[in-house]
Amino acid sequence: MNIFVREVKGNLKSLLIWSVIVALFVTIGTAKFSAYFENPEMLKVLDAMPPALLAAFSMEGFNLTTVSGFVGLMFAYYVLMLGIAAAMWGSEIISKEERDKTVEFALTLPVTRSRVVTAKALAALFNCVALLLVTWGISIVTARPYSPDAAFYRFLALLMLALFLLQLVFLAIGLLLGCAMKQYRRASSLAVSVLLGTYFLSIITALSAKLDFLKYLTPFKYFDAVKILNESRLDGGFVALSLAIVVVSMVGAYVTYARRDLYI
Amino acid sequence: MGVIEVNNLTKYYGKARGIIDVSFQVGEGEIFGFIGPNGAGKSTTIRLLLSLIHPTSGSATIFGKDCFLHGPELRRDIGYLPSEVFYYERMKVIDLLKYSASFYERDCTQRMNELAELMELEMNRRIEDLSYGNRKKVGIVQGLLHQPKLLFLDEPTAGLDPLMQAKFFQLIREENQRGVTVFFSSHILGEVQRMCNRVGIIKEGRLIEIADIRTLQQNNYKKVRVTADGLDAAFLDLPGVTNLEQQNGAIRFFYKGDINAILHKIGAVTVSDVTIEEPTLEEIFMHYYE
Repeated sequence: MNIFVREVKGNLKSLLIWSVIVALFVTIGTAKFSAYFENPEMLKVLDAMPPALLAAFSMEGFNLTTVSGFVGLMFAYYVLMLGIAAAMWGSEIISKEERDKTVEFALTLPVTRSRVVTAKALAALFNCVALLLVTWGISIVTARPYSPDAAFYRFLALLMLALFLLQLVFLAIGLLLGCAMKQYRRASSLAVSVLLGTYFLSIITALSAKLDFLKYLTPFKYFDAVKILNESRLDGGFVALSLAIVVVSMVGAYVTYARRDLYI
Repeated sequence: MGVIEVNNLTKYYGKARGIIDVSFQVGEGEIFGFIGPNGAGKSTTIRLLLSLIHPTSGSATIFGKDCFLHGPELRRDIGYLPSEVFYYERMKVIDLLKYSASFYERDCTQRMNELAELMELEMNRRIEDLSYGNRKKVGIVQGLLHQPKLLFLDEPTAGLDPLMQAKFFQLIREENQRGVTVFFSSHILGEVQRMCNRVGIIKEGRLIEIADIRTLQQNNYKKVRVTADGLDAAFLDLPGVTNLEQQNGAIRFFYKGDINAILHKIGAVTVSDVTIEEPTLEEIFMHYYE
């Protein structure tokens, strides 16, 4: 508990900064949406764009003049932002002890390494959940002027569930890299690189049906907002795949951290 | 049974040498000195015993339990003062010490306050605002507040002013009188000489000597200086003579062996001056490293 509390306190500033970034992004995004809202002219403009371009920016399949369509479009960017935050929190919460050379203090206390990983993982998870709630809250507040129906709130809740699963995936990958890598400087940059790499992979995947098999490699393709909007549920297979990645990463994190030499 | 028992402990960092085949024992209530220059493997040995790093081969026990299997449990009774002290920069001294104390079952508040007063610690300053010496003082309090039974001190006096050093040594002596075993790593021989009963000397990763400090001084080497006109240094090059050098008509060397043999040899020539004395630990140390 003491490690968890200290980590949450220590990361409070980072959580505040991310919350402000997300809040600004959602607010500015919604301000732009006011131009689309119930505006048939916009539909014409969008219809004139090449389908590949729309696909690349995940703008196909949404009616951007509705608030659900707009939030569905924003979903990819939420995943990107909250994913980066999760990956960085995950990797840094472990590797910063070695970066700041505090590991010689923190790990000579009477604690097992797995207790340290558990407490830190929970602290990072706490941050992820807090940021998710901020995102959800701001989304509701900014959507309110367009008086959305109950279906919108259900859709939004499902999107947030998907977002949470993806946060878990990137958090677990970040933790794994933080635990496994002795070169602490590279752990978080690699975690963010993995995330951006899979994001670009998701864009490439959208360009051609032949590349469809790549969707398993990029979490950005696990939960398609259009499908969620149409089917009102998450794809069970990808929920399972996400959870499997989380479990495997966490097992890897515990095992590698217990075995490796700490960098002092 | 020793408090610390180390058997053929070897550590390689990839291909780089850490320590090779190190074995020694430290008895209960002993102050064991561990001396060697920078990079000899002193810190590596301590970090292995604290299971911060894992050995390539060999084994080590503390209080009869394997260091690598029972590390967390053993560390309840271990205090550690690293050579360089790093704490969470943004925390206040008092919060850091309370945080550290929260990991131990016993209530450490009283001992923490006693130590802080003794070390003249300013409890409400942030770690980041502290000087090197003040950080070290935080380290001393943090390492001792849970009343450990075994202390690892890694070059403990670096950064402390002479007044604080004296207080610190007094503190360690008091701890030792209460039965605390101390593993004292240093390259400053004077302090080792003052504090320790036995020393281990480590060179390039290998433990080359373990001896009682007195034995080391009395029985090992004599420092001999002979002044004589026209005497060639080679004349005195007997078995047991080392570091033979000639300067301004004086011949100096270390001698180990039957003292009569060297006296006979010197007796055969006319000398103007002879001194035979025990070397300082410093000189013994230098001798090992040449």
